[in-house]
Amino acid sequence: MTWDWSYAVEIVPNLMVGVWYTILVTLASSAIALIGGLLLAILEIASTRLGRTFVRFWLELARGVPILILLYFTFYVLPQLGITIPAIPIGIGVLGVVYAAYCSEVYRGSLITIPTELRDACVALNLSQYVTWQRVLVPLMIKRAVPALLNYVLGLFRETAMLFAIGVPVLMGEAQVAGNESFRFLEPFTLAGIIYMAMNLPFLYLLSRYKDKHA
Amino acid sequence: MLSAAEFSHSRPFVPEAATEAHGVAPKSKHAKWAIEFERISKFFGAHRVLVDLDLQVQPGEKVTLIGPSGSGKTTVLRLAMTLEKPTGGDIRIFGESILFDSAGKPLSTSQEARIRRRCGMVFQQFNLFPHLTVLQNLVLAPTTVLRQSKEQAENTALEYLRMVGLEGKVHAYPAQLSGGQQQRIAIARALILKPEILLLDEITSALDPELAGEVLDVVRGVAHETKVTLLIVTHEMRFAREVSDRIAVFDAGRIIEQGSPDKIFSYPECDRTRAFLQSVLNH
Repeated sequence: MTWDWSYAVEIVPNLMVGVWYTILVTLASSAIALIGGLLLAILEIASTRLGRTFVRFWLELARGVPILILLYFTFYVLPQLGITIPAIPIGIGVLGVVYAAYCSEVYRGSLITIPTELRDACVALNLSQYVTWQRVLVPLMIKRAVPALLNYVLGLFRETAMLFAIGVPVLMGEAQVAGNESFRFLEPFTLAGIIYMAMNLPFLYLLSRYKDKHA
Repeated sequence: MLSAAEFSHSRPFVPEAATEAHGVAPKSKHAKWAIEFERISKFFGAHRVLVDLDLQVQPGEKVTLIGPSGSGKTTVLRLAMTLEKPTGGDIRIFGESILFDSAGKPLSTSQEARIRRRCGMVFQQFNLFPHLTVLQNLVLAPTTVLRQSKEQAENTALEYLRMVGLEGKVHAYPAQLSGGQQQRIAIARALILKPEILLLDEITSALDPELAGEVLDVVRGVAHETKVTLLIVTHEMRFAREVSDRIAVFDAGRIIEQGSPDKIFSYPECDRTRAFLQSVLNH
């Protein structure tokens, strides 16, 4: 098995298409995960017992079932029930919802670290519940949660590779297609691995900058 | 920092004006007591913190609560601010219960907030919002609670910052300030809402003596030159003697003795008061 440079160069444009879809899916599902996680955390903390039970059930479902099963279920089973959704929205939705569950735990954990005295100050200033959450608790929660959230975004980015299983042309999917067409797997998967690693670097840089700034 | 005369001029604390500004029912305008605790008891689990506490404070009166740690002083302030609910009894602010409506039902959140708006509180640990600048800390409540415009709130905030001698720290974050400066900002933040009753909970306990002095200077200004009702918990006996109209001595969840500062410090009646003062003053 030898490395074929000309073949490697030939498949780069296809892999770049995969990079574009990977970025698109990562950004969209991260947005769902970060915002959805925050809403779930607030809902769980601030709602009634019934609301909390519902949120807990939802979180356990999202965290307990393998992503691949959720992808297959929505992609293969839902059409049999008359609900057909294209692969890309399914991929974005499943990753977003699963990671929203993880992120909500991060937000919840960071809320616990906010001193109760700050809530006392909100009461003493007569701030409404809405203002207390909007102007005090949520900004502090987010600030404290950033390192852990960035780690989850990083994890989500890597998990996008799984979406090739339902035909989303992410980087892994494009590498698989290239390999299947030529029966050469060394170049596509090596290049895909290198590109995934290179795309990790901005996240790692951001994470270390943030940690330095707030250490 | 402003002199007492300037302070007085810059901050006219008129309870009636504040009452109207906050839209509080006029029926409580001429209440005999600014704040009244009636047979208040408080348990934390099985631990009894307050026992049938009765305490009345007149409008404009400066009352200091002293006593050993764990005797229930801070709980009294927290109950007045509705940060805790009593196990039994009633608390009235300018004649209005902060627990029940006229039909004896528990108050709604909005009713409670309306009455609570007449109180302000300064905490031992300052409790400034760490992610907001000094100015943002000061304008948050006026813009959201009093619905002031941002410009109006900022102008008022600058006045208060001048009052506490920190007009140069407008854009600083709490972490960039000393403890004394943070506490002065916290006092300004409480005063900016023009409370008629100000609750001060061991506001110098977390500060070294030098920084405590600058904070106490600000409170002296408020105590001597304004009509705001003060309920103070402190271990600074000299300060308590100087600013208080009345001192209440707590022990094991009860007021064991109360009276003028001269009476309490010079002629205490209870042995427990004597023992407490001796231990504090000799410390």
